[in-house]
Amino acid sequence: MNKPDYAEDSPGKELILMGNEAIARGILEGGAIIAVGYPGTPSSEILATLATMQKFHSHLMLEWSINEKVAMEVAYGGALSNLRSVAVMKHVGLNVASDAFMTACYTGVRGGLVVISADDPNCYSSQNEQDNRYFGPHALIPVIEPSSPQEAKNMIKDAFTFSEKHKTIVLFRTTTRLNHGRANVILGDIQKTETKPDFDRNPSKYVCVPSNSRRMRKELLQRLEKISEESDSYPFTSLTLSEKRINGKKFGFISAGIPYAHLMDALEYFKIAENVSILKIGMIYPPPKKLIQKLLENCDEILIVEELEPVIENFVKQIAYDSKITTIIHGKDVFPIAGEFPVKLYLEKTAAFIGKEFATQELLESDIELPPRLPLLCPGCSHRSTYWALKQAEKKLKINAFKSGDIGCYTLGVYKPLESLNAQICMGSSIGVANALSKVQTDKEPVVAIIGDSTFFHSGVSGLINAVYNQNNFLVIILDNQSTSMTGMQPNPGTGVKITEESGTKVILRDLVKGCGIPEENIWIEDSNNIPKMVEKLEEALQAKGIRVFISRHVCSLLEIREWKEQKVVMPEVKVDPEKCIGCMTCIRKFGCPALVEIEYNGKKKSSIDPSICRRCQVCIDVCPYGAIYCEE
Amino acid sequence: MHNSHGYNILTVGVGGTGVISATQILAWAALEDNYQVRTAETHGMAQRGGSVVGYLRFGSNVKGPLIYKADVILSFELSEILRYSEYINEKTSLFVSKDILIPPSVYTYNIPYPSQDVILNHLRKITHHVHLIDAGKMAKNAGNPKTSNVVLIGTIYGAGKLPIQESSLKNAIIKFVPDRAKKINEIAFQIGIQYGRKIKEGFYE
Repeated sequence: MNKPDYAEDSPGKELILMGNEAIARGILEGGAIIAVGYPGTPSSEILATLATMQKFHSHLMLEWSINEKVAMEVAYGGALSNLRSVAVMKHVGLNVASDAFMTACYTGVRGGLVVISADDPNCYSSQNEQDNRYFGPHALIPVIEPSSPQEAKNMIKDAFTFSEKHKTIVLFRTTTRLNHGRANVILGDIQKTETKPDFDRNPSKYVCVPSNSRRMRKELLQRLEKISEESDSYPFTSLTLSEKRINGKKFGFISAGIPYAHLMDALEYFKIAENVSILKIGMIYPPPKKLIQKLLENCDEILIVEELEPVIENFVKQIAYDSKITTIIHGKDVFPIAGEFPVKLYLEKTAAFIGKEFATQELLESDIELPPRLPLLCPGCSHRSTYWALKQAEKKLKINAFKSGDIGCYTLGVYKPLESLNAQICMGSSIGVANALSKVQTDKEPVVAIIGDSTFFHSGVSGLINAVYNQNNFLVIILDNQSTSMTGMQPNPGTGVKITEESGTKVILRDLVKGCGIPEENIWIEDSNNIPKMVEKLEEALQAKGIRVFISRHVCSLLEIREWKEQKVVMPEVKVDPEKCIGCMTCIRKFGCPALVEIEYNGKKKSSIDPSICRRCQVCIDVCPYGAIYCEE
Repeated sequence: MHNSHGYNILTVGVGGTGVISATQILAWAALEDNYQVRTAETHGMAQRGGSVVGYLRFGSNVKGPLIYKADVILSFELSEILRYSEYINEKTSLFVSKDILIPPSVYTYNIPYPSQDVILNHLRKITHHVHLIDAGKMAKNAGNPKTSNVVLIGTIYGAGKLPIQESSLKNAIIKFVPDRAKKINEIAFQIGIQYGRKIKEGFYE
């Protein structure tokens, strides 16, 4: 493989980098040794990019962890051993990691430790829209946020030094538009840290028993106090004061992150960037108190521009109250709390704030109803096969299972036409929630937990042990496609491949499940795409007693076609015989593979297969009730 | 000619059809011309067969990645552009591929796919600059249907709607395609440019 340009040791070179690539570059430049995480949109490309650098920077020690809590602990262990370390996760991942995170903040660190939380305003790829800036005041550690890929690179590089200086964990918060947006980035030098890893055997510093923790909490507050004094001079925070007035008033703005970038565009749009005061905050927590006071004292009215919760606004109002400043402060009375801000909103709200005319054009009303284009299970996806087989088995048994779902591609089974999920909240919850559901189930409405392989390793396994121990009896279906597909086909313990593509030790799912206490006769392993066999065995599993695990196994279709291509395997084309097809549309309207389309044949509606979309999995052959789909040998 | 400051290009289509790589190619070409560049792209869950969008802005002073009104919209699929009509005003030039990808919701939700005429009539009420491109066919002529994103890049350049140098565009295209596909993509780019020039001369709509 060629050396990617972002891995080169060429300071001053300008590239276009995605935010996540820029962050990875910053981690490299900052001299980090240990970088770990669990895949999660919009954070996944950070470690993936580091993995492509690792071949050329062999000091990097990278791991996909099995979950974010373990990632947090691994990174903490690195920092404890005097190695610069980073843990990477999406916002909800920090919930998983927070047990380790909250108390790790007490002991502080030796080597610099940065935790990256990628938040997702508008829930583009997430189950919620939480604002992790709150983790700053919650854990009493600094929270920093960049407003461009260039700043992200520089800021995270600096964060390791900052972390070591104050012996604190630093929370580096981003949002989707930063992670998944490209911009010019000028590379810097790659620092080589001279520190040697070693053990610091000092139980009073690192063992969090009550007698130590009470003292540590005070030390934590002292550290925070010192950091607070430096927040005003943080290099990525800046205050520009203007003495100019607009309509007789002196206006000011406070913003951070991506909203800062869009605010500056809006001010340029109205050509008032020079006529207003602007506080750009790089360190959200602890907030830059003196700069906030200065801005407030200089202005008659200020507007705080931040997406999601009023985090900065609450700090500013507190500071204004404490320093008896009566400047009018606007924030969430102007901007919404929920969702991402479109550019139009910045323009409208900025204009209204400074009393400028701004008429947005009326959008042309359209009476065209556009069919929605929701994310879908891919053509040939083995999850579709499992859902289909489960439906058939339920039909045969005349039962209607309550299906407790989980996080992964297979969550898309909630949409039409499969509509196969009844509940889902977070990673691993399918099994955890089913523990209680099983107490309510009846013969006609049994409980089925549905979880992917990577998610099972992440946090499903603990719920399963809970079920075994407490004798909560239900069926668990593990959709084992040997990949963490939704986030970009990362490997996991079940594949036995490490992030560096070297082989690790494969964790055998069957052995793991057996080890959890599932008896041999209550474990099934079938090929997801063998529909007749799946239906038969699922019937068996649905009727069996006790806690049961059904491993539905078939490699992710995206990996399968890649394998076929590499091995030059040419699968035969799958076709519909229009003479046999009666146009019942079962394959299109009930099974719903995107390769199946409607056509007119002799004036009648028939099914057909679009060969450019079909992945030749042949599953629809077993789906057709009239044997009209066949394989061309 | 410009909508607000900077030059704003929206690329829309369906996941896996080259929307994001088109945005990436344009971003690198703009860098070579010494512009400040910002993009925002759909990645992750939404990419699985869903509607995908790439926002691109470049100029001497652009900061935010999202767009207010687009100078140009490239739609890689016929109906997808309708989801983004909030970005169109009377100055926006639309380059819409004739290619159709029927979403399965047509069957599962029983909502028919709108006809080409209905789509174009609606767009023409907002802007006069609507260009329908047979990108798939041109890409096939170039030698590979997957090059339709490069055909469309060539078309907007040829039509005079892309203030980036031809050499920068060519270098960026070469950077992002595998060695064996370089020749075909260069041809696709040229086919697009020729078609774009005809549009500019008023030969095609």
